Amino acid sequence: MSEHVLKIEHLTMQFGGVVAVDDFSMFINKGEIVALIGPNGAGKTTAFNAVTGVYTPTSGSISLLGEKITGKRPDQITKLGIARTFQNIRLFSSMTVFENVLTAHHLRKTSNIFTATLRLNAAEERRMREDTAALLRQVDLYDLRDEMATSLPYGKQRLLEIVRALATRPKLLLLDEPAAGMNPQETDELAEFIRQIRDVFNLSIFIIEHHMNLVMEISDRIYVIEFGKQIAEGVPSEIQNNEAVIAAYLGGDDL
Amino acid sequence: MSSPVKKKTLSKEQILSAVIVLLFYAAVFIAEQIIPSTSMLFTVLKKGATYALVAVSMNLLNGFTGIFSLGQAGFMLIGAYVYAIFTIPLAQRASVYQYYNGGIVQFTLPLFLAMILAGLVAAFFAFLIGLPVLRLKSDYLAVATLGFAEIMRAVFQWDKIGPLTNGSNMLRLFPTFNDFNIRNASGEVTIYLSTLVPLLISGFCIALIVLLINSTFGRALRAIKDDEIAAEAMGIHLSSHKQLAFCISSFFTGVGGAMLAMYQTTVQAKSFTTAMTYEILLIVVIGGIGSVTGSCISSFLFVACSEWWLRFLDQKQMIGNFEVPLLRNGFRLVVFSVIIMIVVLFFRQGIMGTRELPDLFRKRQRDKKKGGLKA
Amino acid sequence: MKGCVYPVWNTIFPYLLSGISVGGQYALIAIGYTMVYGILRLINFAHGDVFMVAGILMVYISASGLPLFLSIPLVLLVTSLIGYLIERIAYKPLRQAPRMSVMISAIGVSYTLQNLVLYITGGLNQLYPTIPWISSSITIGSATTKIVTVITPFLTIALVVGLVLLINNTKIGMAMRAVSKDFETSQLMGININRVISVTFVIGSFLAGVGSLLYFSNYTTVIQTSGAMPGLKAFVAAVFGGIGSIPGAVIGAFIIGIAENIIKGLDIILFKAGLIAKPLGLATFSDAFTFALLIIILVVKPTGLFGEKTTDKV
Repeated sequence: MSEHVLKIEHLTMQFGGVVAVDDFSMFINKGEIVALIGPNGAGKTTAFNAVTGVYTPTSGSISLLGEKITGKRPDQITKLGIARTFQNIRLFSSMTVFENVLTAHHLRKTSNIFTATLRLNAAEERRMREDTAALLRQVDLYDLRDEMATSLPYGKQRLLEIVRALATRPKLLLLDEPAAGMNPQETDELAEFIRQIRDVFNLSIFIIEHHMNLVMEISDRIYVIEFGKQIAEGVPSEIQNNEAVIAAYLGGDDL
Repeated sequence: MSSPVKKKTLSKEQILSAVIVLLFYAAVFIAEQIIPSTSMLFTVLKKGATYALVAVSMNLLNGFTGIFSLGQAGFMLIGAYVYAIFTIPLAQRASVYQYYNGGIVQFTLPLFLAMILAGLVAAFFAFLIGLPVLRLKSDYLAVATLGFAEIMRAVFQWDKIGPLTNGSNMLRLFPTFNDFNIRNASGEVTIYLSTLVPLLISGFCIALIVLLINSTFGRALRAIKDDEIAAEAMGIHLSSHKQLAFCISSFFTGVGGAMLAMYQTTVQAKSFTTAMTYEILLIVVIGGIGSVTGSCISSFLFVACSEWWLRFLDQKQMIGNFEVPLLRNGFRLVVFSVIIMIVVLFFRQGIMGTRELPDLFRKRQRDKKKGGLKA
Repeated sequence: MKGCVYPVWNTIFPYLLSGISVGGQYALIAIGYTMVYGILRLINFAHGDVFMVAGILMVYISASGLPLFLSIPLVLLVTSLIGYLIERIAYKPLRQAPRMSVMISAIGVSYTLQNLVLYITGGLNQLYPTIPWISSSITIGSATTKIVTVITPFLTIALVVGLVLLINNTKIGMAMRAVSKDFETSQLMGININRVISVTFVIGSFLAGVGSLLYFSNYTTVIQTSGAMPGLKAFVAAVFGGIGSIPGAVIGAFIIGIAENIIKGLDIILFKAGLIAKPLGLATFSDAFTFALLIIILVVKPTGLFGEKTTDKV
């Protein structure tokens, strides 16, 4: 029915008396990279959390490829094809790089606790390991596979988190400030990387980011929110010249 | 952990570890045939085997899933009672259940079946209690499970279910570890197995837990422990995995309870106190939260210290004419407590940290590998 | 009608009275739990044992022949000091450690205190000294009880009022409220966190000490495990009332104390009321009831009666 990979309609998130997201609507087409920007505390991450099921919307609806996902649990939504990264990196700290990615294959297991414990799922386990190794080779992390995930340099940790999300084989990838804390060179590499994975893995990407250079470079379309309300929507050039957006960023020193 | 991708054969370290375990079993078997069966060594090994199983089960929750449960005594109690109720020989029931007309259970199950049933009943109770309790946060969960254990202790002593549980009276005369000994026609022991078999049972159960930990489910549990929100974002259903871990842990705790019944030769609900849970927890902490090997080693150490090596602290000791001060009943436990507090405060990694037996051999090799890469 | 109701009431009344009294004693312990949790987010598993140690101290100090007007203050002083030391030795070094470590440390302290007392007393029941006047009997209506039973609730209320005044009107009280609201921020605001935590432990232990005077005067013996049950029940009371809330803990404690004692007498009450023909042995469940209540409240309303809701940030 719907062409949209993601469609948010009239999303409202309320915490006590605070309205974090107010009647927000948007959509993402297949293969698009769409950014959500806005000043700190505008409600961007809250919107992400509503999409991924961490919060249940106060009202409004969210659908993935025409299927309504409002009210589903985070793990169900991941299984339906939405993966995400986190603003403050959340890697599994007791695991190696390899195990972090391997864990993301758990959701496609066909084994149960007994077959897995008694190693009757050897073929599946081998396939999981092969897929993990292939993915790590693809992104040049294979040599670091036996390092503890949290011992990697910061930029690599961000990268690993994206790879781990990719291992769930999403249709839509949500990136929450992926360039935070990166230097300009790393940010450039990240932009290239995001485009690459979009093409290689056939993804649509929804990104929250403060680095305006990155956003303007890679986004097909941009939504701007302030105090939970949408104030602008359009292609990067439109947003750059939008007065409401410039005002929201206090004269637009970021732009 | 294990080497990625191709994992067709066991690694050298794993084989070495397996050899060590087998040698241990062989040594126990030989020792049992030549050393008098009254030696403290066997007491320690029997009780140690029991505690090791329960400690590893607790570690599965605390160390690998991040669920801080304090219900161990309750699940051991259930396991011990189920085992005892279904294995007391028919002929003895009249004397055991003397206040309840021989009780209502009028059949017996084979020993191993009764042990499995002990685990299953414990797991079933875990399932019921887990439904509400596992939704709670760490410290509330701890107290709620502690409360559950206390409820069990009260319920099993209730007079009205006496025909089943014998009320507050002892259950006894069921098969014990000594029944594993092989006897000849005249009743003399020909082959001693009363220590080896419990060690084998415990070892078998622990091996299953290790296999579970290293399976895809084990990884999911560790993910939950590391970061629940990230685990959920990886498609792991939190409550069903927690429930699974809770039931499996309780199953083996129940089996451990059955073993404790066999070790003690009698069962009475009032002895399954909170202090028992605390002891198991301290064993896990001393061994290293997140290390199965650590839990096993520290179980035997703990039991050996409390039953054997530190016993002298409880008696007056004379060196020549000098009476060593402080030594009298209870001093052993004081020393023990101090050691535990030192571990808790200054050696939070415990004996093993999160390392396992194969890792002990691997360490040197890994360093070598790193050197090789650079060259 | 009258003839039917009054005998039942006469049966219930003694249980109700001792329930209120025990409730007051639980309340004094529960405050220690709720204050520590409010500030450190720690279930102080050793708190029940501090209460027990206060009982043992009274036994030994009065055996030394010290008069009561000196021994009682001395017990309270030493108990407060023990609370202070426990925090310094066992909890302070772990302030940056994961919460599980601190909880394990608390369990370790509990284990240590019990074993220490076991060693000192030889594991035998110690007879609690008789405190004149409050240990003497009094008859109210259908109940004959000790005076301590009657004065406990009043003393409890008086102490709680004093505590609430302290928290609301003094500088340290204000600091305590700030720390329990937001640990990190109050540290940044220049509040001496360690001092606040110490004071919290001292107050909690002091009240547990008072509670032990009342409790053991009623129960007459102390043993190393005497603190475990009252401790756990007081904790349940704190959770029931909404952990972090002092009035909540007090109300929770009274409810639990009363309910537990009514259950103890339920067989007799139901029998006298003509509802059952023979006793059911329900008294077995007086302890279990408390924990069933805990599990129910945690599931239905984890924040308790007066607790505040907190949410996790993603």
